[in-house]
Amino acid sequence: MRELTPPSVRPLLEIRNLTIRYREDTRHITAVRDVSFALEPAGALAIVGESGSGKSSLAGAVLDFLGPAAEIDGAILFEGRNLAGIAPGQRRRLLGRRIGAVFQDPFTSLNPALRIGRQIAEPIVQHLGLPLPEALGRAEIALREMGIERAAEVARAFPHQLSGGMKQRALIAAALACGPSLLILDEPTTALDVTVEAQILRLLSGLRRDKGVALLFISHNLGVVRRLCDNVAVMYASQVVEFGTVERVLESPSHPYSKGLLASRPALAVASRGSRLAAIPGQMPTAPATAAGCVFAPRCPFQEQHCGGIPQPLAIGPGGHQVRCWKAASLGPWPPQPTVAVEASMSPCGDALVNVTGLKKIFSEHAGLAAWRLSLVGGRPTLYRPHIPAVTDVSFSISAGEVLGLVGESGCGKSTLGRLLLQLLRQSSGCVEFDGADLARLPAKALVPFRRQAQIVFQNVGSSLNPRLSVGEALERPIALFSLAQPHQRVQRVEALLEMVRLPGAYRRRFPHQLSGGERQRVAIARALASEPRFIVCDEPVSALDVSVQATIVNLLADLRDAFGLSYLFISHDLAVVAQLSDRIAVMFKGRICEIGTVAEVLNPPYHPYTRMLLASAVDDETAAEPAGGGIPATAQSGCVFAARCPHKLGLICDTTPPRLKALSESHAIACHIDAMPSAAILSTSKGSDIRELA
Amino acid sequence: MAARLAELAAAQVLRHQRLPAALIVGGVLVIALIVIAALAQWIAPYPYDQMHIRDRFSPPSVHYLAGTDEYGRDVFSRLLYGSQLSLVLGVSATLISMGIGVPLGLIAGYRRGATDELIMRMLDLMLAFPPILLVLLILAVTPPSLMKTAIAIGVLAVAPIARVTRSVALDLMSGEFIEAARARGERLHYMLMRELLPNVWPVLMVEASLRVVFAVLLGAVLSFLGFGVQPPAADWGLMISNGRAFADTAPWISLAPGIALSITVIAVSLVGDGLREVLDPKLGGR
Repeated sequence: MRELTPPSVRPLLEIRNLTIRYREDTRHITAVRDVSFALEPAGALAIVGESGSGKSSLAGAVLDFLGPAAEIDGAILFEGRNLAGIAPGQRRRLLGRRIGAVFQDPFTSLNPALRIGRQIAEPIVQHLGLPLPEALGRAEIALREMGIERAAEVARAFPHQLSGGMKQRALIAAALACGPSLLILDEPTTALDVTVEAQILRLLSGLRRDKGVALLFISHNLGVVRRLCDNVAVMYASQVVEFGTVERVLESPSHPYSKGLLASRPALAVASRGSRLAAIPGQMPTAPATAAGCVFAPRCPFQEQHCGGIPQPLAIGPGGHQVRCWKAASLGPWPPQPTVAVEASMSPCGDALVNVTGLKKIFSEHAGLAAWRLSLVGGRPTLYRPHIPAVTDVSFSISAGEVLGLVGESGCGKSTLGRLLLQLLRQSSGCVEFDGADLARLPAKALVPFRRQAQIVFQNVGSSLNPRLSVGEALERPIALFSLAQPHQRVQRVEALLEMVRLPGAYRRRFPHQLSGGERQRVAIARALASEPRFIVCDEPVSALDVSVQATIVNLLADLRDAFGLSYLFISHDLAVVAQLSDRIAVMFKGRICEIGTVAEVLNPPYHPYTRMLLASAVDDETAAEPAGGGIPATAQSGCVFAARCPHKLGLICDTTPPRLKALSESHAIACHIDAMPSAAILSTSKGSDIRELA
Repeated sequence: MAARLAELAAAQVLRHQRLPAALIVGGVLVIALIVIAALAQWIAPYPYDQMHIRDRFSPPSVHYLAGTDEYGRDVFSRLLYGSQLSLVLGVSATLISMGIGVPLGLIAGYRRGATDELIMRMLDLMLAFPPILLVLLILAVTPPSLMKTAIAIGVLAVAPIARVTRSVALDLMSGEFIEAARARGERLHYMLMRELLPNVWPVLMVEASLRVVFAVLLGAVLSFLGFGVQPPAADWGLMISNGRAFADTAPWISLAPGIALSITVIAVSLVGDGLREVLDPKLGGR
């Protein structure tokens, strides 16, 4: 076991008894309570916690981002100077020069009107006083250091011309432009796809090694932390509940909350139909009481009478490991969720409920008149509309009671596909059959029963409920619309629906802004259930939720599937979540299905090269390395959509001929020209522990 | 709808135990204005057209609170009567523009595509006319009347109201609750009235309060130019216009209606600001 802070080195950043309070109206809300830690030069410390745990406030206090409503007590020592005490002008000179910062959303962090190179050069001009041309030169070098090959081209590009991963690289380059000794990263990979996330993490650990930059890494994801950091602080409800080396905390967590967080991540493995995820019941208090006692006690399975009464200090154990739980030493593992008994009849059976053949969707870049372009090529002016294919030649079927998982990175067309199935979008060609009827040929009237039977649950818990309708009104509407209950029985029906998603009946009087993210998603699920559907498209239903809430929602969806024999199209970018709930998985890339099969077939070799890349990124296998490419992605191509990123590319055939789905077994098909698909297993048993908390 | 707003406002009061100061101040002023306008006949010391030939141009005094004009008419009494015209004009013009603009904006934002293009291009056409010219055109060819002025001003504000409605509706259309309603196969009427309108309403309230202000001001301008309310009727714009000639010797003639107009404008926009704060569900606590 490594010592946490070698006494010989003076820490680069030391936080001592930091407390942050926000004034709101007349109340004070404590965001961070009595937090202390130290980060040595070139060290890497992760702060992990769910949304609202105070982790971002902590970073904000170091960066002086909190604004006048925040009261800060305690000391923030950076290179021996207390940042909390010095004048704003002096502090600004430190920020950007000695301390760099990178934030979650690369899509809004760059100024859309300035060229990339200019934005990286800005801090160099500001802090180092170099003339602009020289600073632009340095910016280009900085971009090259970020692993961008065509750096000069990228430096001249505008942000919208770059992919998300490329933008995040540019932002890291800007943060490092003045050679800071500390880099603060606030969820830098949360908005990125897994394959890109793996690249960024590798880049960061390389920078730390080569440049000696210390990292303060803030994340909600324990799996990501393992690949980058030495030490980790787990925060819950404004307090640090556990602090120690990454190995110690992730492999044998001591605090019940850390145990719960780790246990609620689904494993990237085949799950039986009756299995459920371990979950942390309840939710984090938004304004924890200052009273003595453990803040986690109400949600803790190990909780006993004493937990509420005695104050919980952060006890320091061997190797500097700290835990805020008086009985940590005697605790066993987090209790697993009991497996649900599943009757044989609940398994998918019979004819296809949903049948999709040759489905294709082409979008125009703009709507209305703006979509048209005038071409003068060939001497004759012609009007045309540029087309973007979103879904190309997709065929599959879903049986009654079956869950088909749909995996792919953002922009691959998976959400479009879900909307095509529900006829929220009209396909350009191909056909969608529901219960044997071709939906495109049905007259508008005949769509009513289909609308009742096919519903949707969305990702964005912030906008999936109408803010002006109470929960009761939202749930009553489908019942009234499809005349599913007499008016006087509707309230009872609404309460029954709320009970199905495990919310109290009194919630029908609440408005969406009075609910937490997980509660809103439950209401959205209840609304989809209200019309008594047979098929639900779940479009990333848990991606916006915290890990512990995610587990409860996945369990709820599994219970509802078994109780009502529902079929789902479960769309997600997270293979582990998909594997947990699905019977079969379809992997999608750039509008095409590149592999489809049962969960076991997709997770085990032979793989499609893209599936293999997804799996490898998830467990941080070095073979996940894909060519980072030039920067500005190529668009039109006639061959295999994956050819440009494929590490197993055969040659010309991949660029000219799109591969067909080849059936490898009755249920398994892969679209690839390679005859012998990559077969080395990624999810071997030796990787078992990694898989448990992968990203 | 009004019941719904009252309910929301009541919920806000219960939650916070207090209303925004802007709404209270603005509300008190607006209610006072309405009361004054309604009771003008009874509380005004003199009829608006009674001339006191001997007391022409008398400065503010106990007899004539805001002085008298060139015909010896009591400026204060005319001010009180004038509030009726200004309020009626402002409110009715705004109701007309909302009545046409909101449905157009909602449909354009909801339907998008060709419908949107058609509606918005027609409104662009209206915006292309200089506003005063358009009103003058309507008023110049036909004999002036208060209702016609209100209609002319109201039609003028259709385009901006529709634009605001459409932009908020477009923004809402990306919300997943809209897609959930479409997945239920909801009809146009329900989509517009239940899903979109309640969410557009807070923005519209603010826009409407601004429009009332513009309408009152434009009404004053028209009276000033001689196209709106005709003498001897008491209208604030007309009073300012008439007093202009005597601004150096008897400034109170145009100053008093000027101050009254300013207070009205401030009061209505305060109410608009306050309403926005109260009606925004995101600003309300949990």
